[in-house]
Amino acid sequence: MANPVDPALTSSVSASQPPAPEMQPAVQQPPQGASASKPAKQQPPKQPAKGKDGAAAAPAASGDGAALTPAELKKKAKAEKAARRARERAERDTTGGGAPGGPGGQHAASAKKGASGPGGAGGKDSAAAAQQKGQKQQPRRGSAQATPQVGAAELKKKQEEKNVSVFGHLYGQQRRTTIAGAGKEVHPAVLALGLQMRDYVVCGSSARCVATLLAFKRVIEAYTTPLGTSLARHLTTHLSHQITYLSTCRPLSISQGNAIRALKLAISSIDPSVPEATAKSSLCDFIDSFIREKITVADQVIAGSAAQKIQDGDVIVTFAGSSIVKQTLLTAHKQGKQFRVSIIDSRPLFEGKNLARTLANAGLDVQYSLMNGISHAIKDATKVFLGAHAMTSNGRLYSRVGTALVAMSAKERAGGVEVPVIVCCETVKFTDRVALDSIVVNEIADADELVTIEPVQQLTGLPDPAAPAPAETKKGGKAAASAPVESSTASQSTASPLEDWKESANLQLLNIMYDVTPAEYVDMVVTEMGSLPPSAVPIVHRMSTNL
Amino acid sequence: MAAPTSGSPDAKPFDIVATYNDLLRSDPDLTMPIAAIEALVLLLTHSPSSTISETLDLLEKSTAHLKQSIPNPIGLSAGTDLFQRYLITTLQRPGQLGPAGDFNAIRAHLLSNGRLFIRRAKESRDKIAAFGRGFVRDGSTVLTNGGSRVVASLLQKAADEKGGPSAVRFKVIYVLSSAKKNSDEPEGMETVRALRAKGVPVSTIPESAVAYAMGKADIVIVGAEGVVENGGIVSRMGTYQIGLLAKAMGKPFYVVAESHKFVRIYPLGQYDLPIEQRVIDFKTEEDVADEAKQQKAVSTETSDAKAVNTADSADVVDFTPPHLISALITDSGVLTPSAVSEELIKIWF
Repeated sequence: MANPVDPALTSSVSASQPPAPEMQPAVQQPPQGASASKPAKQQPPKQPAKGKDGAAAAPAASGDGAALTPAELKKKAKAEKAARRARERAERDTTGGGAPGGPGGQHAASAKKGASGPGGAGGKDSAAAAQQKGQKQQPRRGSAQATPQVGAAELKKKQEEKNVSVFGHLYGQQRRTTIAGAGKEVHPAVLALGLQMRDYVVCGSSARCVATLLAFKRVIEAYTTPLGTSLARHLTTHLSHQITYLSTCRPLSISQGNAIRALKLAISSIDPSVPEATAKSSLCDFIDSFIREKITVADQVIAGSAAQKIQDGDVIVTFAGSSIVKQTLLTAHKQGKQFRVSIIDSRPLFEGKNLARTLANAGLDVQYSLMNGISHAIKDATKVFLGAHAMTSNGRLYSRVGTALVAMSAKERAGGVEVPVIVCCETVKFTDRVALDSIVVNEIADADELVTIEPVQQLTGLPDPAAPAPAETKKGGKAAASAPVESSTASQSTASPLEDWKESANLQLLNIMYDVTPAEYVDMVVTEMGSLPPSAVPIVHRMSTNL
Repeated sequence: MAAPTSGSPDAKPFDIVATYNDLLRSDPDLTMPIAAIEALVLLLTHSPSSTISETLDLLEKSTAHLKQSIPNPIGLSAGTDLFQRYLITTLQRPGQLGPAGDFNAIRAHLLSNGRLFIRRAKESRDKIAAFGRGFVRDGSTVLTNGGSRVVASLLQKAADEKGGPSAVRFKVIYVLSSAKKNSDEPEGMETVRALRAKGVPVSTIPESAVAYAMGKADIVIVGAEGVVENGGIVSRMGTYQIGLLAKAMGKPFYVVAESHKFVRIYPLGQYDLPIEQRVIDFKTEEDVADEAKQQKAVSTETSDAKAVNTADSADVVDFTPPHLISALITDSGVLTPSAVSEELIKIWF
């Protein structure tokens, strides 16, 4: 596989030697580690293609593109599009279907390389020659890949056995583990953000939305329109590369989707005659005002009006760590209200810990308990405040898994009149989608997150058995590659009884991210446009998007 | 600019609270929000404000003053909020009447429109009666309470449909509140007499007999002081328990209210209303004795000063949550409780 790559690289990039060795390990990984997991295996078909894509695009952008005749340009664009489609199909096949996807991906990659390589090299070669070249290479590549493909199919089967079948449709693509294989057009800020979101460093619907917009602002600042296109037309595709990358790191949130939609609309409505600098600065202004209006100020308004609902002597129950609930509680505290907060948290993200610390530092009375203690915590609750990932059009709350349980416990207590459930949610999180259950739409996180246990201070017995476990999670992506090594030398890692869950048959782990709370369990939704019953969500959504 | 506005209410003999109370007393058919709007319109005609911000400032101050001096400002605030909102949207609209236009023209326009609004609001009762008539079926028994004028007009309209003596034969169970204040007869007695005069058989029961009588009723129709954002209603004390009983016995529970009674508040329960009510008042023998002593002392000085700001037992309200309400019959149609928020959003944005 490494061999056929080389000619292409020599033809397009002058310094061909360095990239080749780099690719080799990535390609040879699948046969090496049988259980080395999907991400590593997925790379091969995609990686060379993307690498070439970037290599080809760069020279074209740097001026050679001008030398091409329009016809050639058109042809090139067509070939590129076809290649992209094929690649996407191949990706889908490899993740969903299995073996047949492999050759398809190969074909696409080589076809694309054939078309774009020479174009990048100078644009003087005829397209026919390029096509020929591409075809000639194809069989060689296929044969070279044959062996890893068989191993991969087996692996795939094994992987699927580990999927919980009810949620089978959600497994789709594994989260990206490295920035390797990301397109060259992906901005460094976006690259970093992708990994941060993947590792939950940037976590929470609003935070992800703001971070994405800020990263896109840097993308726009660094952007120059290539010759021959207009900003309004090219920047959208340029951004969609960034978006695709981000969504491979972690599926996009509803708020991100809404923000991106608004941004794309703003881009496409730019007058082509406007000079590039003006257009860029107006887009940056748009992003700034979007963040300010839809999130920063909206949060202040929500915190203000939700804090009015807190009275002296209240016991507020909240779940996990919502930034807007935090702001509400702090606002109420600043107003001098005397109330107690009970935070309910859950594994594996423990988002409530930060909230507990912040509130306690601010001087509030905080009780922290895990989901296991919900019936106890809800006993003396007077109000429940919840954050949201999204509100669906049928008034249901889509939020961190466990939210529904908290809302229902509050309502089940005594006819449900005494404990009102209040949701704080910006209108940017409203969606026109409808959720009937938490199965159809959801997100599945890496099941390995459930395996690791907290290092416990152990005074007796074995010497600190939990030590290797957290180290492994920290490595995140690398964990996949190093897992087999560790499990083979497994004797010392008795960290978790579930450590080798992938090896044991009949054992599946499910790490679901969200759940849906029925509208009957929500009394009030506090938004920046006022307080609403959940049934008014679609009306407000329609208004806030049409205005 | 601040000086003249703050001075004008004092300098003028115009007293908004007195005007409001006079209006309510002079016209028994007037509802609280409409009286509030009418009082505000009168205020604007009396005060010589010359700029927009001065007008708005004056309005805001008078509204706050009015709200403070009325024991239960929920119904009233629906009217004042609506009027203020209407003013602001009119002033923001571009054109002759916008910020750039001549202020005197704006003022004249506002006043004439304010009067138009009041006239329309008074007409809305007939509209509601027309909508709600169909709910009173031949041979049915209606349970109702309180002294709501909309309910009264609806029932009377149903009674004298097609002229003649009661075309629709229905019976009414009228829940009369036992808490009598200064008046010698309970609220609603007037309606009872009017219905009986039209040949409608009416039975009056005390509040304690609601559960007993509910089995004989086919539908429940009540009035409301305010319709809140989640579709629930704020109404005369005792409505909530009727709602609960109707729900428990599976009887439809309809609320009749004009759309100017829609208020922008969102109560989460009985104790989340923006008014102070001393319904539940725990006392020991000692407290009772203390209070009696205090009352004697107070009554010698100012007898009615304290009675104004704390709602007494006849004026107390409760909150009926939306899940107990089958439908709201308003002048903009028959709405489900969840459609109320839609209507409110339409008004406010």
